Amino acid sequence: MAKWGMVIDLDKCTGCQACTTACAMENNTLPGESWQDVLYYNEGEYPSAQMKWLPRPCMQCEDPSCVHVCPTRATYKDPDAGGIVFVDWNKCIGCKYCMIACPYGVRFYADEQPLIEPDMRDVYPGENGQMWSPPYQNPEQDWRRGIGIQPKGVVSKCTFCYHKVSKAPEGVPDLDEDDPELVEYVPACVRTCPPKARYFGDLDNPESNVNRIIGDKHGVRLLDHTGNRPQVYYLGAGAGVPAFSPRNS
Amino acid sequence: MSDNNVMKGGLGTGLLILSAAVMVATFGYVIFQLNTVGHAAFNVSSKLPWGQPISTYLYFALASSGLGLIASLPLVFGFKQYYGIAKRAIFLAFIILISGMAVLALELGHTFRMLWAIPFNMQIQSAMFWMGVFYAADLLFLLWKFQKMEAGDWDSKNTKIIGIASFLGVLLASGNLALIFGMMSMRPFWFDGSLPIYFYLTAVTSGMAALVFFSYLAYGFDRSKMPQKLQNALNNGLPKLFAAVLGLTILFVAVRAITGLYTNNPEVYHVWADYLFASPVYILSLLLGLLVPFALMMSRNLRVNPQVQVLVSVLTFGGLFAERYFFVVGGQVIPLFQGTWAWNMIQYTPSATEWALTIMGSAMIFTLYVLGEKFFNLSAVPEQLEEAAEAEAKATA
Ligand code: SF4
Ligand code: SF4
Repeated sequence: MAKWGMVIDLDKCTGCQACTTACAMENNTLPGESWQDVLYYNEGEYPSAQMKWLPRPCMQCEDPSCVHVCPTRATYKDPDAGGIVFVDWNKCIGCKYCMIACPYGVRFYADEQPLIEPDMRDVYPGENGQMWSPPYQNPEQDWRRGIGIQPKGVVSKCTFCYHKVSKAPEGVPDLDEDDPELVEYVPACVRTCPPKARYFGDLDNPESNVNRIIGDKHGVRLLDHTGNRPQVYYLGAGAGVPAFSPRNS
Repeated sequence: MSDNNVMKGGLGTGLLILSAAVMVATFGYVIFQLNTVGHAAFNVSSKLPWGQPISTYLYFALASSGLGLIASLPLVFGFKQYYGIAKRAIFLAFIILISGMAVLALELGHTFRMLWAIPFNMQIQSAMFWMGVFYAADLLFLLWKFQKMEAGDWDSKNTKIIGIASFLGVLLASGNLALIFGMMSMRPFWFDGSLPIYFYLTAVTSGMAALVFFSYLAYGFDRSKMPQKLQNALNNGLPKLFAAVLGLTILFVAVRAITGLYTNNPEVYHVWADYLFASPVYILSLLLGLLVPFALMMSRNLRVNPQVQVLVSVLTFGGLFAERYFFVVGGQVIPLFQGTWAWNMIQYTPSATEWALTIMGSAMIFTLYVLGEKFFNLSAVPEQLEEAAEAEAKATA
């Protein structure tokens, strides 16, 4: 079985948020529930200040702390699904310990105060146990893998678009949107990225392009000291997490 | 046997009605909010997922553990001078833990799912799984021990074994609770291997506050009305122990604060400098909730004074509640990634619903407590000790 990995080239990324939008459309997430987001921040001070950004999906860690802490095994890593980390919405008790334990802040408890008004959950009230039901909804649903629109009281996160990826032919080294045969199976954020800053492939396959560029361009993983060992790699200058500093204004 | 317990009379009934009414009202409000607004009625967010309900649970769970540890002084280690407080301590430990669990249950996204999802999935890697196991065992042993005392069996071999098992259960439960936070390397403010020690200390301190306060409450805040054994404990051993644990708690907070302010790890430094010490409430809780009580209890004359004891226990109650709150929230105020959505430290103030949960838990403690005083003799001691105490009192009279 493959071990799916993503590579994000920060030298190519323009911070356009197309990935964020594509993810929200694909997975019908609520405002604020950004399974994929591009975070903007600035580093340094005038006159050498820099504007930076960091696209951030769930890292699908190889040794995920969210899985270790979950008391119910609702959060689990599935080696048969390319090592993707899922949340089983039938088992999650909403204790939110996984959100405490994830170093990357990529998990969401959607049953919280709305980010924008009017609250989308009131505008499109949920049917079939869903938290909300927008007029168009992705027909793919699998609550045991946290795919679809989540019910109340559970945690959600990026699934690497498993509903697409899982249909790819067995043994392909890369899911490349330029390949007409494979384009349908590429995760939404990867497929949409205009400057092609994202790559998706099998980290266990020596032939894969993702392995090649991680090696050639010195791919790094974020916050590696936490031991989570992400399956998402970053390339390019500035692939790191700046230290926190409070703002005085 | 003299029984001046005011909780058995009209005063107790009044308190019972009042606290039950508050409990029902706040519970109703929380349920109404959860059914209409959902967990959005809480002010927590995906950035700061654990708020006041969790800190309230932590406060109650640890106060309960503290009471369990105090009760083991006579029951496990044979310190006879503390026999007078043992039964009340066990009872309080039981009801405070139940109340804490009730608060936690309403905080979860799926309360009832937990009952099968945790045992059936046996995720032994999770500290939270063990929290369930150890606190459930703790509850069971407390009940068992209380039932033995109720039956007048204080010293049989079985009771001793239950006592020891319960003592171990308490150590495991509260130590493991500390590790739920202490093992989080991605949350440096909490990441601390010595956290179990800190939790034991503060557990005993808050347990002591509860024990002293509720013992006085039972006798209308009049020590002379108390049974001899209880008076002896409050006159002698307990105040010294109270002073000692307050002192050690302060020491531990100081050590954490000093290392926190010295480090240049922003995820620890800024919590201390710009969140905790920037908050007047936190500073006040340190001063009034820990330092003043400690100073009062250090004085040989003041620490045996009943009014001072009650005052100190009330202050310590408040101080440690704040301590737990700031501990839980402090571990989360620094965003994991600064930038969009989190330019600065994360803001959090508990909502009305979250306060209602805290009040509900507290009212539940009072309700169960009065029932306990009404239906049981919580000041009971082993018979032979009781006779000895009375003889002693007669001889000195
Ligand atoms: S990034 Fe967070 S949520 Fe995703 S697998 Fe890693 S620890 Fe779990
Ligand atoms: S919130 Fe759900 S997925 Fe997260 S740790 Fe708790 S039970 Fe597991």
